[in-house]
Amino acid sequence: MEEKLELMIEDARDKNERALAKLISHVEDRKTGWKDIMKSIYAKTGQTCVIGVTGSPGAGKSSLVGEFAKKLANLGYSIGIIAVDPSSPFSGGAVLGDRIRMRDISTYQNIFIRSMATRGMLGGLCQAARDVVRIMDFAGRDIVIIETVGVGQDEIEVVSAADYVVLVTYPGGGDSVQAIKAGVMEIADLFVVNKCDRDGADVIVSEISAMLDLSGDAGSETPQVIRTSALTKEGIDNLVDILSDFMNRKKKCPHLQMECVRQEVISIVEKEMASLIQERIAGNGNMEKELKLILSGKSDPYSAAEKLMNRFTVTKNLERSTGRRL
Amino acid sequence: MRNSKKEIKEALKKWEDEILNPRVQKFKLDKSPTSFYTPLSSDSSHFLEKVGFPGEFPYTAGNSPFEFWRAYAEFGAKLNYRSDWGGTGRSGKYGGFGTPADYRDYLLKMQSMGRKGGPNIAFDLVTQCGYDSDSTFAEGEVGRVGVAVDSLQDFAVIYEAFTGELDIDKVPSNFTINAPAAVLIAMYVCLAKKRGIPLDKLTGTPQNDILKEFIARGTYIYPPAQSMRLFRDTCVFCCKHMPEFNINSIGGYHIREAGATRVQDLAFSMANGIAYIKAGLAGGLGVDEFAPAFTFNAFGGSMEIYKEIAFQRAARRMWAHILRDRFHAKNPKSMQIRQPITAHIGCSSTTLQRPLNNLARAVVGGMAAGMSGAIPGAFPPFDEPLGLGHSQEATQLQQDASRIMVFEAKVTDVCDPWAGSYFMESLTDKIEEDALAELEKIEKMGGAVAAIENGYMPRAVAKSAYERQKKIEKQEELVVGVNCFVGEHEIDVSINRLVEATYNPELMKTAEERQKANLARLKRERNGKAVLTSLRDLKVQAEDKDKNLMPAICECVENDATLQEISDVLREVLGEAQPMKL
Amino acid sequence: MGEGSKIRVLIAKPGLDGHERGAHVVVYGLRDEGFEVIYTGIRQSPAQIVSAAVQEDVDVVGLSILSGAHISLTKKVMQGLKAKGADDILVTVGGIIPEEDKKTLKKMGVEGVFTSGAKIKDIAAFIRAKLRESS
Repeated sequence: MEEKLELMIEDARDKNERALAKLISHVEDRKTGWKDIMKSIYAKTGQTCVIGVTGSPGAGKSSLVGEFAKKLANLGYSIGIIAVDPSSPFSGGAVLGDRIRMRDISTYQNIFIRSMATRGMLGGLCQAARDVVRIMDFAGRDIVIIETVGVGQDEIEVVSAADYVVLVTYPGGGDSVQAIKAGVMEIADLFVVNKCDRDGADVIVSEISAMLDLSGDAGSETPQVIRTSALTKEGIDNLVDILSDFMNRKKKCPHLQMECVRQEVISIVEKEMASLIQERIAGNGNMEKELKLILSGKSDPYSAAEKLMNRFTVTKNLERSTGRRL
Repeated sequence: MRNSKKEIKEALKKWEDEILNPRVQKFKLDKSPTSFYTPLSSDSSHFLEKVGFPGEFPYTAGNSPFEFWRAYAEFGAKLNYRSDWGGTGRSGKYGGFGTPADYRDYLLKMQSMGRKGGPNIAFDLVTQCGYDSDSTFAEGEVGRVGVAVDSLQDFAVIYEAFTGELDIDKVPSNFTINAPAAVLIAMYVCLAKKRGIPLDKLTGTPQNDILKEFIARGTYIYPPAQSMRLFRDTCVFCCKHMPEFNINSIGGYHIREAGATRVQDLAFSMANGIAYIKAGLAGGLGVDEFAPAFTFNAFGGSMEIYKEIAFQRAARRMWAHILRDRFHAKNPKSMQIRQPITAHIGCSSTTLQRPLNNLARAVVGGMAAGMSGAIPGAFPPFDEPLGLGHSQEATQLQQDASRIMVFEAKVTDVCDPWAGSYFMESLTDKIEEDALAELEKIEKMGGAVAAIENGYMPRAVAKSAYERQKKIEKQEELVVGVNCFVGEHEIDVSINRLVEATYNPELMKTAEERQKANLARLKRERNGKAVLTSLRDLKVQAEDKDKNLMPAICECVENDATLQEISDVLREVLGEAQPMKL
Repeated sequence: MGEGSKIRVLIAKPGLDGHERGAHVVVYGLRDEGFEVIYTGIRQSPAQIVSAAVQEDVDVVGLSILSGAHISLTKKVMQGLKAKGADDILVTVGGIIPEEDKKTLKKMGVEGVFTSGAKIKDIAAFIRAKLRESS
């Protein structure tokens, strides 16, 4: 590894914010040597507790994160926050605005906030976010909070990789309860009805409770539903207690850990394969040829895909070893 | 009508076929660059309902056949009367800087030069945001864009310039203040009490338009809904105790300057106006008790002269209908948009490039104003975008331009000169229709407060600002000297430009330190126990949503509690507003 | 710049000035130029701006100031960046900046000053060119 990177890693571990920020960029940008960084820090991670926060736009997630992060910081925890916002599919640029709602804590010594764009990475957001969590973990953050808008499979994956998932909803957001998507519902450990100073909070609390009663498996623990308000501060202490309690309890069973690692390895392989395939397909003219054939009615997408895949030795090898036609 | 609709329709078709289209084809255009309006474009048979006479419902043609200024315009001209210098009994020039003493001394100097007029106070950003001069937020900002006011004592120092023939029962006071409006009104009330002047003799206008701060200007303190409680309280208090004092000055102008389109400007201002009316009603008042004390700052702000004229007409008609039909107002004054200026180009229409051109631009705005029921003010002075303060020359040219429009061009000798124009009537209808549709959208969200809380209005304005920028960059909108006519052969004409040493720069430099010393002295010398007691009482009152906070705020002010101390108590109970996420 | 790398910009409004039109236009404009734009909203202290610039590892800080307090506020941001060893970050200022003050700002280390009439395309091109120069 380059000496510059080694130095950066060392500085990041020594709580140098600038080095930590640079390290994150290096890995997020997938710059040369990023994997070496991850390999070298991996053994020194695994200490942090990851809290995922998701919910519909307008639910006040950032303000809420700001509030409970402040309290946790005051309890002495060192905190990292990753705020994910979508990239524009047109320009690839992004407006990252979550810091606006975390202004109180933006100069706290023990809070480090990082905004992250989804960058349209094919299933890659999850891995990139996982990498950033790991770097923060390495840099000594006791808690890492990941905040995403609960839309899109990618973002759901990101929070689902967290140790504890908080789903935020609010009164007045249209059909708030209806808007809680299947997929998010199942991964939530805690339901928060935010902006509870507004009318209609009680209705939502009871609707969610009813929904949970109906969907819960017998014997499994039904997630709690709590009320908070970033404005009046109601319920923030309760939320902090619940989170602290979780952190004290948090001891993963080995099986789960094994599953997590399995998922991660598969996802890294998938991601690398996908980019490899994309590169190859885009790299020669075969793709264009096939597309023209389809448009002129001489072929179809299924045959074209088969033909393209046959060009990869990797798929041929796979077919041979599994005996299955891909 | 002598010609039947059918006849005109046929003639129109013939004209298009024989004259218009051949011409478009001759020049190889996709469509004609001009339009022409006929009796088919607007139905003039509803004159009384849609236009009416000046001073009659729906006020499309104006609030009155002529305003005060027009009655004596020629008289004043012959006397060389300078309206911008203000006069006894009238509002003075908008301004403010430094410490209260700095500004008082400045006002006294101006008065000795014959520039009289009531206080028209600009407060510094620290005051506007509810902080004191010793707050960490105040660093570098004390006395900058206005005068610093921390306490009643500060307020009283400014008013040392207003005694005798300029006492507060004789001149109006204007306060450009929004989030802390309740505190500043309380200061005015306490000052009157100290001077033994009955409150019903007080005149003037606080801006007190907090909703547009969330959409445009950004000097908010409490969340939108909680801010409206303070508006309700000021509204009820002013209505009951200060019947000659206006309640607010609702501003579409700032919204427009922040980037809103014409339709957004109109719809958002109306939505805000409706929210204020509802707040007054929620305070237990009847609509005609307080709506006549509503004023409007100014709507509009663009170079498109026809549309700006139509816009003013549409705005008057909309407000009149909203007040009469929705709120069942009976008093004509409740239904009128009372605003000091109507149309204008807005500061954002001025350019830094070849700035003297801004005079030509301002005249266009002045013409629009003159033709839509107001003084044809050539606002702003041409050097506005230079950011150096208005020079004597620019102010002189601005005044002269306005006079030329009134006296030489005789622009204001006719009321609503466009009434009955097929084009103008259809344009007015269109703007009103579009604004009503947008207003309905906001009403469906739950009104102005909801449309601020969910980010809709501020975000819509930001998006419109960006759309306009894109149009300029793509040359879909042409701005002379900015994105066209920028060749080397164009010359930049400049004139001597003397900046009137409006405010002493040396004083500005030391204002912060001196004001902090003033504040420290106040905190040492006042009755600390009385301050605490009154603040504690304010807190108790604030916790009860139904209580009117004005008496408690007056009590705090009278005991020399500072603006921030009062605001902090309210911050604690009402919460603080969060800046908008894009 | 590496493979996946994006230009990251912090747009910030120091002080109490609440006029956001310019900042909003630049935020949207640079997003459409493919930049990742962090916007921290109005009423930011220089310390908050410096902290955001460091944690977000931005390539550029763009300050928007219309209150006339641009000299003192910019100075504080520049000092803060230096103290955190982040003075290699490109700093630009936008707003109502009189001609005379542009020189003062440049002397402080501000690389670009953009006032009324500036085009987004030009701002983006300026940033790209400056970053290329320094990499």
